[in-house]
Amino acid sequence: MSSSMALRDLQRDLESKANDLAKIQKDIAKDHQLRKKYTIQLGENELVLKELDLLEEDANVYKLIGPVLVKQDLAEANANVRKRIEYISAELKRVDASIQDNEGQQNSKREAMMKLQQRLQSIQAGKAKA
Amino acid sequence: MASSSARGELEKMGIDQLKALKEQADLEVNLLQDSLNNIRTANARLESAAGALNDLSLRPQGKKMLVPLTASLYVPGKLDEADKVLVDIGTGYFIEKTMEDGKDYCQRKINLLKSNYEQLFEVLAKKKSVADEAGMVLQSKVRQLQAATTS
Repeated sequence: MSSSMALRDLQRDLESKANDLAKIQKDIAKDHQLRKKYTIQLGENELVLKELDLLEEDANVYKLIGPVLVKQDLAEANANVRKRIEYISAELKRVDASIQDNEGQQNSKREAMMKLQQRLQSIQAGKAKA
Repeated sequence: MASSSARGELEKMGIDQLKALKEQADLEVNLLQDSLNNIRTANARLESAAGALNDLSLRPQGKKMLVPLTASLYVPGKLDEADKVLVDIGTGYFIEKTMEDGKDYCQRKINLLKSNYEQLFEVLAKKKSVADEAGMVLQSKVRQLQAATTS
């Protein structure tokens, strides 16, 4: 009967939307983890920059590259840390935008699912009465 | 008072909502507790570093000492200039500082951690009171429901 086909179509549509929603929520969770990581790195690098700023011009700076401590130029170290801070800030902004976007998609999927469920319920109620 | 208006909000919520809120608040309380513990461990490490620095500054140059090569292997050596120290400032950078600056660095970090700890503790106390309130309101509602269904 056509109404039971419509019922099955609706149910399949609901299922596929539920899968989409689950995927979006996984993406949001991953983005949150990423955001946490970037925030921690940003904080650490800003601390390093503060310490470097307190140093005198001729102070010795060393960088740990693998098992080797390599002497670095203070200006170079400053530039490196500043660049890292810029890069991490940009990545953080990108992740924030992605989270916002995904949250918007999540909400619209939820709304669409609710509407589908309502239609499904009204069809089933109609069938029960008939 | 602030807590009675919050309680009013809690009373208005359904049992399921209250349960969810309490679980959420409990989760946050646990996370905050973990962070507080981490800060305390870090602080303890810094304090012992500061103590070691102080001790080192008392030793004369050329003093015989045992140098750790691994966790179980020590090698005899002589203390070189104790006036310069290498400070790990994070992200793989080390800076050479004088003994004074080194001690100052440790003290600064300890102070920073202390203030972070205090801020976090305040947030924890607030979250804990929300969780406790939610728990109490939840219990009284469940009791009301039980009394209503049995009578």
